[in-house]
Amino acid sequence: MRKIAVIDGGSSQHHRTYTEPKYRKNIDTLIYLPDLVETSIDEFDVLLLPSQLHMGLLMKSMDKIYEFANRGGIIVSFGPQLNEWIPGHNWEFRETNFWWWLEKDPKSGLVLQKPDHDLFSRYLTLADSTWHQHGVYWPPKGSDILVSTEDGGAVLYIDKVSTKGTWVVMTLDPDYHYGSYFMPATERFLNGFFPWLAEGDV
Amino acid sequence: MNEKKNDFLMLDTGSYFGKARVNDPKYQEDFTFIDTYELPDIDLKPFKCLVIQGLIDQKFLYKHKELIHEFLNDKKVIVFCGNIFMDWLPGGSNFIPKTIHSFQDYVVSVHQPHPIFEGVEEDDMTYNKGVSGFFARGHHPIPDRSEVLLTLPGGEPITYIDRHSTKGTILVHSGNDLFGSMNVKKTTVRISFQLMQWVRNEYQILQEKSEVK
Repeated sequence: MRKIAVIDGGSSQHHRTYTEPKYRKNIDTLIYLPDLVETSIDEFDVLLLPSQLHMGLLMKSMDKIYEFANRGGIIVSFGPQLNEWIPGHNWEFRETNFWWWLEKDPKSGLVLQKPDHDLFSRYLTLADSTWHQHGVYWPPKGSDILVSTEDGGAVLYIDKVSTKGTWVVMTLDPDYHYGSYFMPATERFLNGFFPWLAEGDV
Repeated sequence: MNEKKNDFLMLDTGSYFGKARVNDPKYQEDFTFIDTYELPDIDLKPFKCLVIQGLIDQKFLYKHKELIHEFLNDKKVIVFCGNIFMDWLPGGSNFIPKTIHSFQDYVVSVHQPHPIFEGVEEDDMTYNKGVSGFFARGHHPIPDRSEVLLTLPGGEPITYIDRHSTKGTILVHSGNDLFGSMNVKKTTVRISFQLMQWVRNEYQILQEKSEVK
């Protein structure tokens, strides 16, 4: 089982999601964001960066995060980002499609590009990953786009080319919604995602 | 009435969702934004009201809870919208999520008429494009002698005013930011403006009380 550290921004959403026992059991350590700059992350295999973190504080630890990646670590990033800090992610803001499911002949706009990837063959379905999107990434060449929009923008991708490590990056923000008691699909996503992160083929 | 502007202090959570508010032109006249972590370093005297949003770092607020107490004991107002999980707010209790069996479990009712919700339709609070659950999904147990404004169908108080835990006034709402309705096209658009007016009136009343010898 991989040793996972999660950065805790101190919000009620992070508290609810990452102290929930069925997710917490996969997490070795919660690191409070204001303490990150003074905390060693050398011992971990995975560093999970939740959505809606205080970007100013996070930026103070950028060197540490990139050193972690270049030692072969796995970095997970949930949700849209204010700053361009993920390697070559090329964020494109789009109006959030909150209401697609109320339309006639509803289409979420999501396409599963890699159904054979371990995350989707053993742990998640596309439906578990479907609520809404805040935008898309246009990641570096060589990245694996697992879930995209119909025009090919990345909603969930894995980048093993930009550093010596692995970046699992998504515009999806399951922790915010689960932490807000909102959107049942986000619980199903986390139910599958954590076991994959702990033991799956990343 | 010649009101001082920028008299609401809102803590910027530094998050993606928070930035939209910080940059929204409609909030620039009435609100001053500071980074959450600057709270211990700034002079709170100019502000009538401290506005705390649901994405706030509550561990930080807990660490600095004496600042919150001092602000209130200066006979001022705090508006918090979110889910409490730490003991940083006087009279506050941890959020209790509602157990949901149907969408009707999220129906919002006015417990007693109040200027903040005057002219606001209950259905406009409950439903967004026919979908319920946006307004509040649980409640905080209330402190003694609180004034309950809105409830869920089981009578759970989702919005309350507490004038007794401190010398100031605390408004707690267990859902999204009540100041966030400025851009909607329903009767809920009134909430932000009426809440702002209520805060200024409340501040005036609190301050006048302090002058009584």
